Amino acid sequence: MIEAGVVVDKSGNPLHWHLPEGRTAGSLPDSRTLWEVLWDAFKADTLLGFAHSHPGSGVPGPSYSDVTTFAAVEAALGKRLDWWISSSDHVILLRWGVPDKYQETPNPYFFSYRATIVTEAPSWVAELRRLSQQGQGQ
Amino acid sequence: MNDIKDTEARVNITYGGKNGDLPDPVMFQAGDGDIKAWVTEAVRNGGVPGLDVAPNADFSDFVIDRFTATEVRPYHLIAVRPKTPFGLAA
Repeated sequence: MIEAGVVVDKSGNPLHWHLPEGRTAGSLPDSRTLWEVLWDAFKADTLLGFAHSHPGSGVPGPSYSDVTTFAAVEAALGKRLDWWISSSDHVILLRWGVPDKYQETPNPYFFSYRATIVTEAPSWVAELRRLSQQGQGQ
Repeated sequence: MNDIKDTEARVNITYGGKNGDLPDPVMFQAGDGDIKAWVTEAVRNGGVPGLDVAPNADFSDFVIDRFTATEVRPYHLIAVRPKTPFGLAA
């Protein structure tokens, strides 16, 4: 198992498979290439969001690194995105959504992204899981 | 835009869906923390042409990319962009 990612367009189709050098079973490294893909898709008004895989099964949850990346990318784009996380048998969708009273807390990120379990798997999930079974980064 | 010396760099910032340069160049070898502090102050105060004023702008989860001069771009460039790691990565 190795983490993988995919940039998803507004039609729900994959725009870019994110398989960076240095990806591991527990992480995807910082990538200027991924940022450039996100920025170009934003400028073209085709960007919906980004999905990445977590190892194992069960309902996945975001790490601190995940949610701080979500927030940084959205701040740079000036736009909220959809963020999916897939395990081997579940997918969750995270979106910004929080009562105003939480936004002044010292660490607002964990209060700011609400997860819902996706009951109908998006079309790209099978390929994301297949790529997550590969042992080598690309 | 001021002339940029060999020891300096232009600083380009992406924020709020827009892109702009700091009006003045900075030392190319300036520390990441200093660059983030200058950028934060400039964006919060509306000091970056092309970017909207953002009083709550926070660049703590942004990264600094440095590019040396090229034939096409005859000056060093510092790009400020959001971080993109996921999972256990810092």
